Amino acid sequence: MLAGLRAIIGAERVCDGGAAVDGVVPRWSAAPATIEQVAALVALAYDEGLVVVPRGGGTALELGHPPARVDLVVEMRRLDAVLEYQPEDLTVTVQAGCTAGALAARLAAHRQLLPLDPPGWAGRSLGGLAATQATGPLRQRYGGMRDLLLGVRFAQADGVLTWGGAKVVKSVSGYDVPKLMVGALGTLGVLLELTLRLHPAPDYEATWLASFRTPAHAQDCVASLLDSTVQPNRIELLDERALAACGLPASAAALAIAIGTVEPAVRAQEGVVKTIARGAQGSVETMGTSFWRTYDRVLAGFDGVVLRIGTVPARLMAMLGAVQAVLPGAAVAGAAGVGALHALVTHADAGVLGAALERLRATVGEVGGGVIVERAPRALRERLDPWGPVPAPALQAMRALKHEFDPRGVLNPGRFVGGL
Amino acid sequence: MPLSRTLLADLERIVGAGGLVRSYEGRLVYESDMHTFYKGAPDVVALPTRTDQVVAIVRLCRAERVPIVPRGSGTGLIGGAMAPQGGVMIGLNRMDKILEIDLPNRCATVQPGLINLFLTRAVANRGYFFAPDPSSQMVSSIGGNVSTNAGGPHCLKYGITTNHVLGLELVTGTGEAVRLGGKVVDRPGYDLTGIAVGSEGTFGIVTAVTVRLLHAPEAVRTILASFVAIEDASEAVSAIIAAGMIPAALEMLDEMMIRAINEGSNAGYPKDAAAVLLIELDGPLAEVMAQSERAAQICWERGALEVRVARDDAERALLWKGRKEAAGAVGRITAAYLLQDAVVPRSKLPQIMREMVAISRRYDLLFANVFHAGDGNLHPLICYDDRKPGELERAQQANEELLHACIALGGSVSGEHGIGMDKAKNLPLQYGEADLNFMFRLRRVFDPDGLMNPAKLLPSHPACGEGFRPSRPTLPAGTWV
Repeated sequence: MLAGLRAIIGAERVCDGGAAVDGVVPRWSAAPATIEQVAALVALAYDEGLVVVPRGGGTALELGHPPARVDLVVEMRRLDAVLEYQPEDLTVTVQAGCTAGALAARLAAHRQLLPLDPPGWAGRSLGGLAATQATGPLRQRYGGMRDLLLGVRFAQADGVLTWGGAKVVKSVSGYDVPKLMVGALGTLGVLLELTLRLHPAPDYEATWLASFRTPAHAQDCVASLLDSTVQPNRIELLDERALAACGLPASAAALAIAIGTVEPAVRAQEGVVKTIARGAQGSVETMGTSFWRTYDRVLAGFDGVVLRIGTVPARLMAMLGAVQAVLPGAAVAGAAGVGALHALVTHADAGVLGAALERLRATVGEVGGGVIVERAPRALRERLDPWGPVPAPALQAMRALKHEFDPRGVLNPGRFVGGL
Repeated sequence: MPLSRTLLADLERIVGAGGLVRSYEGRLVYESDMHTFYKGAPDVVALPTRTDQVVAIVRLCRAERVPIVPRGSGTGLIGGAMAPQGGVMIGLNRMDKILEIDLPNRCATVQPGLINLFLTRAVANRGYFFAPDPSSQMVSSIGGNVSTNAGGPHCLKYGITTNHVLGLELVTGTGEAVRLGGKVVDRPGYDLTGIAVGSEGTFGIVTAVTVRLLHAPEAVRTILASFVAIEDASEAVSAIIAAGMIPAALEMLDEMMIRAINEGSNAGYPKDAAAVLLIELDGPLAEVMAQSERAAQICWERGALEVRVARDDAERALLWKGRKEAAGAVGRITAAYLLQDAVVPRSKLPQIMREMVAISRRYDLLFANVFHAGDGNLHPLICYDDRKPGELERAQQANEELLHACIALGGSVSGEHGIGMDKAKNLPLQYGEADLNFMFRLRRVFDPDGLMNPAKLLPSHPACGEGFRPSRPTLPAGTWV
């Protein structure tokens, strides 16, 4: 087999073993330099019944069920080119191994940005961000990866190179295949190239921290902001422990609010934001833009268990209460206006975490939300369901999709929802 | 093949006699959408009022292997909501309720037959709106918008329908009612909502939609700039985008269109203008003021003949009047036209406009243009005289040639109308065999019997048939030697 892999990409680009994926040392690791090489590797894996795990930045390998087996890791790091960038079109086509940080540097020269900033975004590959639908503060204004991915090239489970979507900002020709690939954890195809929608970088951005006496006041402030004409780029909720982790002044809950546009408009909205926050009995201080770097570093650097909670903006306070009740000591932070929160849990054994997940899932279940374990030691994830339940009819459709597009279980098998 | 008597009796049992259209004259109303070129009346039209009725109808049709075609208001432009193979049409017009408005979470759940504009009207007094605004929004249904993933003039800033759909209730081709997505944006599993939006009824029948509602902007400003050359207008578009603005709308009209509009309305576009640019900015007041000044300045710098800024809603309506009447106004200069919906990357606009002039000359046909310049979505109306033999065919050829040119520049065959019967044949321009085959298999997962809106969206092409195998990667020579 090693000879076969070597023949495809050259002896120096493939080795026995390699870096472990979620505790499993692969049989082989390969670092292809072209998408055709990836396709050929996947085709070989399909013929030989191997399990393929694509690896981008390697920062989200603990997402999902632990792998039972890893035969071939396909390292995407050499596929890091920016293939097409025409600033005027506000689109870019990149290879999946390109990091968000490298792309940001390239776009900054034209005052543009790809507004995706999940924790640790700069070092993460764009393919990985797509596969995990990772989410960050800028989701408030710009939507998530599903809203920004226009086109995608991927290798199907049998190695067939396939394209879906378009390279223009507006297209409805054929099925919206890119949507299917976002958040699918590489279980339907190995992502190779992405065409992404860009936005102009704001001329000017300012950030304020509004601190509140109770989470209920923070909730009121979020409701008033959403029901106003201000257009924040980010509205992050930080509970008491998240504030402490960021080295910020103590309060029961706070909102970090950023507005980015032309300077006079930032100034004009600043007044409204302050009025709204004070209306909820909050106190407001201006933060430097370095706050967002600190915040990113704290979230990305946390090495305990991370839960991703999907709820609705009107239920933030209920969620904070629920987390504190079942996981005392956990820090909660996230996009308040979107209802996408992270809970950072320092100490939890499988029993506590399992019970907590059950309670939290029941709470968000009332509004159709969910809780996934974004990161946790393998030993914990072996004893609980990192994804949580998916309603049976929808899961049946997902199973049918997986069966159609990966019948032999080549692509990250067993790791996704329902063991797909 | 006529429907069996038992099927008709069963349908009547499900929806009642008043919910069934059986007469020839009645069915004829449903024989086409607004692309009247494609005709096919269903054998019967059922008008359910509840999801369980839709489930029962789909199961019934599936048992008898009868095609099913969903239809909303029938305002599509693609040969979509019509029945080329007959069968049962499910008209969703009676499922037109707003089920829930949840402003604290900025969303609403509606039945598919609800008219697009009615949703905005229901929430406007509280300062909210539903963003997708196809020109048909006064009559088109939200279910239809979901089906075609409809756009509109304001999708440059706000995105198309899919960006505003949070969840669906879908009755699949196997007759299962499945809830996909919901109010919460992040949910584990494949994004089935995302893949179902724009599937043109080929995955099933949408029976409820949860949509995002947006807060209305503080201010809106509309600018009308006219130019002596379309190149100048195109350059202004590029410069506005390059200056870091994303206007809510950025629309262009060409000389022919301006003439047609001026002949019939009091929109008052300068008569020696070769291009008119309609720029709308919305958002916080200070942002809109700063950006609209900059946009107006850019237009002057690019040699605008005139730049008008609307001072109030009445003036704003007047500036939009010509644009909104464009398709109708063309009736004054031509007996018939073909409407194109292709897209090019914005940077290729000047090139495609030159190409269009060349094609128009080559085929000796008039092209009138009104389009979404901001996102490169072209809507040339290719004028022809349907009374002259051969002219339709010539128009069709010109249309095809233009489509090829758009794809060659990296574009797409449809920006916002969809595929239906009309553009299915064009998909192979944009997609390879493996890509088409992937889409075919995707469809089969939701509709294994091929009964849901057959003959739409995918072409009759070997790659879209059973047993096709796309070519697999070739291993390097000598791999196994």
